[in-house]
Amino acid sequence: MKKYMLSSLSALALTAVAAHAETVNILMEAVPDTTYIQQLLPEFEEATGIDVNLEVVNYAEMHTKLVPQLVSNSGSYSAIVVDFYWVGEFFKAGWMQPLDDRIAADGFDTSVYVPAMMDLVGQVEGTTYMLPFYNYAMGLLYRTDLLEDEANKTAYMDAFGTELKKPETWDEYLQQVKFFTKDGSYGVVNQGLRPDPIAMEWSNYLFAKGGEFIDDGWHATFNSPEGVAALEDYITNLNDYGPVGAASFSFDEAFNVFSQGQAYSYITYNFFRAAVDDASGSAIVGKGEIMGVPGQTPEEGGSLNGAWGWAIPKSSPNPDAAWEFLKWVESPEIAKKRALLGGSATRLDVFDDAEVIAKYPQTTALKELLLGSHNFPTFTYTPQFVEVLGRELSLAVSGEKSAQEALDAAAAEFDELAIKDGRQE
Amino acid sequence: MAHVTTMERENRRFGWLLTAPGLVLLAAVVLFPIVWAGITSFFNYSLIFPGYDDFAGLGNYAKAADDGEFLHSAWITLLFVVAVVGIQFVAGFVVALMLNDARRGKTVYYLILLCPLLINPVVVGLMWRMILHPTLGIVNWLLGTVGIEPVNWLGAPDMAFWTVVLVDIWHQVSFMVVLLLAGLSALPAEPYEAARVDGATPFQRFWHITLPMMKPVIVVTLLIRMIFAIKTYDIIYIMTRGGPGVATDLISYFIYRRAFVSLDLGEACAMAAMLLIVIAGLTAVLWRSMRQVQD
Repeated sequence: MKKYMLSSLSALALTAVAAHAETVNILMEAVPDTTYIQQLLPEFEEATGIDVNLEVVNYAEMHTKLVPQLVSNSGSYSAIVVDFYWVGEFFKAGWMQPLDDRIAADGFDTSVYVPAMMDLVGQVEGTTYMLPFYNYAMGLLYRTDLLEDEANKTAYMDAFGTELKKPETWDEYLQQVKFFTKDGSYGVVNQGLRPDPIAMEWSNYLFAKGGEFIDDGWHATFNSPEGVAALEDYITNLNDYGPVGAASFSFDEAFNVFSQGQAYSYITYNFFRAAVDDASGSAIVGKGEIMGVPGQTPEEGGSLNGAWGWAIPKSSPNPDAAWEFLKWVESPEIAKKRALLGGSATRLDVFDDAEVIAKYPQTTALKELLLGSHNFPTFTYTPQFVEVLGRELSLAVSGEKSAQEALDAAAAEFDELAIKDGRQE
Repeated sequence: MAHVTTMERENRRFGWLLTAPGLVLLAAVVLFPIVWAGITSFFNYSLIFPGYDDFAGLGNYAKAADDGEFLHSAWITLLFVVAVVGIQFVAGFVVALMLNDARRGKTVYYLILLCPLLINPVVVGLMWRMILHPTLGIVNWLLGTVGIEPVNWLGAPDMAFWTVVLVDIWHQVSFMVVLLLAGLSALPAEPYEAARVDGATPFQRFWHITLPMMKPVIVVTLLIRMIFAIKTYDIIYIMTRGGPGVATDLISYFIYRRAFVSLDLGEACAMAAMLLIVIAGLTAVLWRSMRQVQD
C-alpha cells in the first residue's frame, strides 16, 4: 500500500513538473515556412524541454491579433514574427525588445545574414530588434516549357523578329505576355485584391519601369511618369492579358490559375517556386521557373524585397525561453534544415550551401533575385500607406480613376503620413 | 403614489438580487466598452502612443464627417442595406406564405432553409469565393457549358456589389422566413373564414387581412434585419476587402481598418459612435413597434 502511495505521489509530482514546463507561444502565418518549423519543433522540445505552441492564422488576421497583445503590459506571445512593413510601427511604439545584449552574450553571428535582410527585418537605427526569418522577395514565375516550345519559338520570331527566351528586360517580358495570350491561355495572372496583394505586386511594376517610391527627403515620387506608365502596364496586363476576375484575386487564387497551367507568368512571392513542383496541387511540375523581375536593362532588376523577422515583444511573458527558441530556429543547422525542406533563406551560408543547391538548383537564382531587389518605404505608417496605395490602385484598375489621378491621390496621402511621422520637413 | 407593502418591497429586492449577477456582467462586457469607446472618441488616442493626454473635443467627429472615404462607405452601406433587406423581405415573405400553406414536409423545408443560416459568415465568404472563382469556380464552368461567357463576379465594381448582396441574401434570407412564418402561423383563422364566405380572392385576403395583421411583425423583422445588415463585416473582409476600388467598402469594415490598421482608436471610436447613434435610433423604433405588438 505504502509503495502504491509513493508511486502515485511521484507520478503526481512528475505531472506537476510537466504542467510547469515552459511554453513558448508564437503567432505565425499559415505559409510554407511555418510548416517547415512545425516539422522541426520536436527537436527543439526534446533538446530544451521547452514546449512551443504555434498559433497559425491567415495573414489578414495577424496584425489585428498582435496589436492588443503588444499594447498590454503582459501579453500572451513569447515571441512574434514581424512583417517588414510593420517594423516602423512596432519600433515607434516600442513593442520590441532590443536583442543586442543577448546576441553578444551568446556570440550569435548575425554577419551571415544577407545585408538587405538585416536592414529590412533586423536592425532599426543601429539596434537589432529582429533576426531575419524568411524572405519573400518577389520574382517572376514563368513557364519554361512554353519558352522551349518550337512552334512558339517560330511564331514569336515571325511576329517580333527576335528569339523567344527568358526575358531580359521589362519590355521584352510585356511582349511575351501579349504573345502568350492566345488559345484560351493568358500571358499573365495578377493578384489584384486590395490592399496588400495589389500594392505589393504593383511595386514590382514600378521598379521594373525605373520608378521609385520616394526621394531622399521622403517625398512621394511614385506618381512620376514612370509610376503612371507602370500602373498603365499593370492595368493592361490585368484587363487584356489576364483571366477575368484577376482584380479580385488574392495570391492563392492567382497562383492556382498559374499552377493549373492557364497563364504564362505570375509575379509573386518566391516561396511559390517550390509549390510549382508540388504534384499534389500543381499541373505544371517541372515546367515553371523563377527569376528576378526584369528591369529597363538586363543589368537592372525590378523585384520587390520582402521578409519576416523574429522578435521578442516587450510584453513577452518569458523572453528568455523565447530567445532560446530564436537561437535554435536561426542556428546554422536548423536554418539549413528549413531550407532543405523548401524554406526561403535569409542567410548567405544557406544560400551557398552545396547540399541546398543540389536539392534546389533554383537557390542561386533566388539569391540573385534577393540581392537585386528593391525595398518598400518602411516607416511608422507603412500599414496605412499600403492600405491607401491598395485602394487607389484598385480604383485605377476598376476604371474609376485614371492612373495619374489614383497615384496623385496616393502620393498626397503618403506625404501627409511622412509629415506626421517627422520624415519630411 | 400607491402604498408599497413590505412584501412587495421584499419581492422587489429579491428580484434585484436575482438579476444583479446578470446586470453586473452586462455592465462589464457591454456598458463599460461602450462608455470607454465614447470617452476615447474625444481624444487623439492612437495605439502607437496610447494615452488620454491629447483632448480632441469633437475633433474626431468633425474629421469623420469631413472624410470623403468614410462618407462614401456610409453611402455604400445604405445602398447595401436597402438592397439586402428589400430583396430578403420580398423573397422571405413569399417563401413564408408558401410554407404557411404547406401541409406536408414543413420540417424538411425548414431544415433545408435553415442550413445557410447555421453556417459561419467567414465560411460562407470562403465557400462563395471558391464557387465564384472566375476561371476555376463551378458557377462559371456551368455557365460555360451552356455557352455563357465567364462572369466577373468579384472583379468589377457593380458586379462585386451585387455578388456580395446575393451572397448575404443566400446566407440570411431564412432569418426573414422564420420570423415571418412565426407571425403568419399566429394569425387568427376567423377573418380568413369570414372573407372566404364573402367571396374574397386570395390576393384580396392577402392585401386586406394578412398584410395589415402582419404589420407589427413585418416592422420588427425589417428593423432587426436592417440592424444586422448595417453591421455586415465578415463577408466583405473575406470576399472583397472593400474592393474592387471602393465598391464594397461597408462602414463596419472601414471602421475596423481605422482601428486595427491605422491604429487610430480615437477616430475609429468617433466613427463607431456615429454608427451607434444610427443603430440606436433604429432600435428605438424597433422597441416602439414591439410595444405596439404587445399592446
